[in-house]
This record gives sequence, C-alpha cells and structure tokens, in this order.
Amino acid sequence: MTDSTFHTLEAALADDHFPEVDLMLRRGRHIGRDDGTAYDYLVDAQSLLEPFYRRFGCELVQQSDGYFYLLPSGDRLGRRQLSAGEMLVGQTLALLYLDPATLQHGGVLPREALLQRLSGLLGTDALVRTLSPRKRKYDERIAAETVRTQVGEALRRLAELGFVDVLDEARLRLRPALMRFAAPVRGLSDPNLALERLVARGEVLLGEPNGDESGADDDTTDGEEPAP
Amino acid sequence: MTTTPPSADPNRVIASLARDHVNLDLKTVDLCFLAGLYLRADKAALASFEEDVLIDLFEQVCDVVDPGAENPRKRATHAIQRLREQRMLARVDGAGIVRAGEYALTRLAAAVVEYFLADEALTRESLTLLTGTLRAQLAEVLAAAKKADGEEAWRTKVVGPLRVTVADLVAGIERRQRGLDAQQEEVQAEIAKLLSADWFSAVDRCQSLLDATTRTLRELNEILLRDTHHFVALLQEIQALATATENTDAEATVQRVIEHVDRIAAWGGARQRAWSEYYQYVHRYLRDVVRLDPDRALSQRLRDQLAGWPRRPFHLVTAHAPSIRLLRALEARVERPPVARPRAEREADPDWVDPENVLADIDALVARALEEGKTTLAAVSERVLPELPETIHYAATGRIAHAVAQAARVRSERERPWAPVGERLEVEDWSVARRDAP
Repeated sequence: MTDSTFHTLEAALADDHFPEVDLMLRRGRHIGRDDGTAYDYLVDAQSLLEPFYRRFGCELVQQSDGYFYLLPSGDRLGRRQLSAGEMLVGQTLALLYLDPATLQHGGVLPREALLQRLSGLLGTDALVRTLSPRKRKYDERIAAETVRTQVGEALRRLAELGFVDVLDEARLRLRPALMRFAAPVRGLSDPNLALERLVARGEVLLGEPNGDESGADDDTTDGEEPAP
Repeated sequence: MTTTPPSADPNRVIASLARDHVNLDLKTVDLCFLAGLYLRADKAALASFEEDVLIDLFEQVCDVVDPGAENPRKRATHAIQRLREQRMLARVDGAGIVRAGEYALTRLAAAVVEYFLADEALTRESLTLLTGTLRAQLAEVLAAAKKADGEEAWRTKVVGPLRVTVADLVAGIERRQRGLDAQQEEVQAEIAKLLSADWFSAVDRCQSLLDATTRTLRELNEILLRDTHHFVALLQEIQALATATENTDAEATVQRVIEHVDRIAAWGGARQRAWSEYYQYVHRYLRDVVRLDPDRALSQRLRDQLAGWPRRPFHLVTAHAPSIRLLRALEARVERPPVARPRAEREADPDWVDPENVLADIDALVARALEEGKTTLAAVSERVLPELPETIHYAATGRIAHAVAQAARVRSERERPWAPVGERLEVEDWSVARRDAP
C-alpha cells in the first residue's frame, strides 16, 4: 500500500485531472508546482502512471526541482527536438533563473533582460550566425529584427512547453523546468560525459536539428518525428 | 490623509495643478537642509528660525554634503529663495525689508521630511494600538449618533469626528501599511544582495528574514481581519441611523470611511498572497539551487556551456503528440459559380427636356420690373419671384439683388430695413433708381 489517493490505475484515469494532464504531457509540457492541482495529481498518481506511459514507449520523469515531463523512448509517441533558438533562449533563461538578482522579483524579469544577457554572452555576430546560419551577409538592422523575432518565437514555444510563463508583452516568469537546460553541467563530472549519458537516455540529441530550424517563419514541424 | 470632500473633483484638481505648473525640484542638499531644520525645530521646540540661523545651518549641511563648495553663504541665499518659491519655507514675520526675516517650515516641507525620517512601518504593536483607538472612537461616534437630535448634533458629534479623528486613524493605518510595503521590498532586495555576496553562507540569514516577514504579515492580517469586521459593523450601524434620520451628509461620510476600511482589509489579504508566492519561490531556490550548488559553480559551468553551444550544439527532446485528426464525411468538391448577372442594355437614352436659363430669365424679369417703375429691391423681388419655380426662390433673391445692382442705381440707408417679400422671405431693402433717371 502507498500513501496515494488512488489504489488502482482505473481510479487514477477516472480522476477529473487525467485528460488535461495527459494531453499536456503528450504535447511536451513540463508540469511543475506552479501548475497547482495538476502537479499534485501527478505526484499522487505517479506510481500508477509510470507503467501506464511505459506501455506507450515513454517515460514519465520527475525531477527533484519539482516538475514532471514525458520522455519518449520509442516510436509510439511523436517527439520533437528543440530548435537552435529555443536552446539558446532556454539556456540563457536557466542562467537568469540561477541569478540571485532575479530572485528579488520572485522570478519575474523583463524580456529586455533576456535579450541583453543573450547578446552579452554570445555576442551579436555569433547570435545572428547561430540563428540564421544560411545568411552569409546581413544588414545589421534587419539581423537585429530577425533575432528579436526568433527570440520571441522561441519564448512562445518554451512557454507552451512549460519552461516559462509569458505574463504580458514585457514580462516573463521563470519556471524550475528551465533547469533541464543545465542538465549536462549540473553534476561535477565532465560535461561531455554527462552529455553522452543524456544522449543515451534519449533526453538530448546531438548536432543540427532535423528539418529547417533556422527560419523565423517555420511552422511547428521543425525537428519533429511523426507518430506512427 | 484626510477624507476627500465631495467637491474635490479629481479632473478639476488635476487641471488646476497643471494650470499652475506645480512642480517640485529638490536637490540632495535641499532635502538635507530641510531635514536639519526639521530636526532642530523638533529638538529645541522652535516654531520659526531667524535668517542667520538658516544660513548657519545651511553652511553646516554644505560641509557634509559638498565639502569643497565655494561661497556657501551665497548658496544658502539661493537655497532659501528656491525653497520659498517651492513653498517649502514661508516667511512668517511680515516685516518686509525693515529687518532680517524669520522663516518656518511649511506643511509640505514637514511632510517631505517626515517621509524620509519616519520609520512608520506597520507593526503588531502599532496596529493593535491604532485599531483599539479606532474601535473606541467609533463606539463613541455611534453613541453620539444614537443620541443626536438635530442637524447640528449630527454635524458636530458624528460627521466631524468621522471626517477628522476616524479618518486620520484609518489613514494612519494605511500609511503604515505603505511603510511595510517598502520594508518588504527592502527585505527582497536584501535577500538578493546576501545571496549575491555570500551565496551558501547566506542561506540561514535569508531564511530568518523570510520567516520574520512571513510571521509579521500573518499576525497583521489576523488583526486586520478581526478588527475591520468590527469597524464595518459599527459603521454600518451609524449609517443605518443616518439613513433613518435622512441625513445624507452623514450617510455619505460613513460610506467613505467604510470604503477606506475595506481597502485596509483588502491590503492584508493581497500582501499575504503575494508574499506567500515569493516565499515559496525563494524557498525552492534556496533548497534546489543554493544548497545543491554550495560552491556556486553551476552558473559558471552553464555560462561556458552556452558560450560553447554554437560549436557543439545539442537539443533537448520533448514529447510531441500531434493533435487528434477529426475525419469528416467525404463530399464532392463543389465548383462555386462565378458571380454574374443577366446581360441587359444598361445605357438609357437621354430624355428631351425644355432648356433652362434661370439667370437670363432673372435678368430679363428684373429689367421688366424696373421698366414698370418698381423703386425698391423688395418690390422688384416681389414682382420677379412669382415668375420662377418656388424651389429656387431663396437662391434667386440673391441673383435678383445682383441683377438690380447691375441694371440700376441702388441706395441704402446706414441701417438697412428688412422688407417682406412674399410670405416666407425678407430682404434688406434698397431704394432703386434707373440709371438714366436724373
């Protein structure tokens, strides 16, 4: 017997939270403590839902930072790898999440802070070349606009995935799931070895993402593998 | 803060402030000077200062704020003038140029200095004292309202105390609430500063700061919840008595105090909720970030990872189930017919109509009227207008005047008389004579 409210899988699936939580997980959303009762439900039903999702070829992962997500390990459920823009924005947000200055406002920060930190860390040129690798020449003004657009798009997708809450046009709230971006450097071991372990677990893919990732106007099909 | 009188329309107040170009421009030295005056007045129980005292004090302030400044006496003169212009200092002796002036701090200056000096954050003790006094005051007002037997008694025993004493007490609580808000912001900044400086060593201090503020807020909220309930009950009783005696002024005053009390109660709940969110966030941060990374190595490692990411990219994997496809019944593709209408001859032949030459007609009709010996514009108009279609009579009167002026000599009095033409028109009349008349 466990402390769970649910004694059978049937009871867990019959709960009102299940349909919404299931859809969120399958769409790649990270469900954390900020999601309130959805998170409580997952904590409660975790032991029953883990084998349930394993039958779909994926793992229900709970991290110590206080969030759940679904990690596909087979081909039964579609999966997607984050684009270059999403990875850069995600890592920068994780860095901001660790910064005590962000703590002062309860994890809320202006969008401008993100762009400033991103260009400060990578440099404008590297940023433009990473986000638009096919362009050999670029006009500074247009490049800046492209970067802003791609960062905005990346933020929108990261918000859908539960890494960040977009409060309004100007402000963001950082969520603990951002620590996934710091996973390769979280331990004290060699980051390359840590990365290899993550690759082996299916958490991470190395190299260029599949499909056309660089365009700002690409649709949701980037790097995704369709469900069979 | 006093209760806003009903006549103080915000739009009007703002417009008048804008019209008067009200502004404040205080430099650090000005504020320090004012604070020095305020403290000296408080210590020595002074109501005003002689000019020499002002200048001496300014020089002392200058020594602290701007030690190398030249000519402090001249600067003092300018500062006093600047503060007088901004209504921070008032000359109170009325002696003009006969002798050196005597100055006092204005209410505005006192308020500004008090803001910077006063440590008026809400504490358990101050709140209990204020709410106790407020409750006793409201009970007195209620007793007076029950005994009040006329307009005058209501005004002096109920409305007056509500507007002044009760409103001041409520405003006192609100002011201290704002003080506590500022204190909370300072605590948040302090926690961030402690962690930035000492990281792991600051955890215990951060935790105790968090716990102390949480405890204070919880206690204050409990007192507010309990006492504001009593206040509102007493106020509603007073309001019911005012309604029974049809005293609208008292009723409105009580209503304003009730709204003020509601605002105070709402503050407690809102601040506790906001603090609770912040508390949880910081708590998680301390546990998941600081305690797990005591050497603060993670930020640097992550920074290195990000800097090297373009050279060796990797990508996180997430689940991505496509949306469920909804199958629809198969239907043959329908060709939409183009927008069309039947062919037809849409050009109509023009109709034959009689030629119109109203201008020429008017000229001829005016000439004929003049030939007939009409001697005024009104008479000519009276003669011509019936010959023209009624729809153009108004426009035609102008044309007739023009034609008359062309064909004859016209004269008018300085005050031209209005003369009726037909039933619906009047014209400013002229006397008309033929051009060949002597």
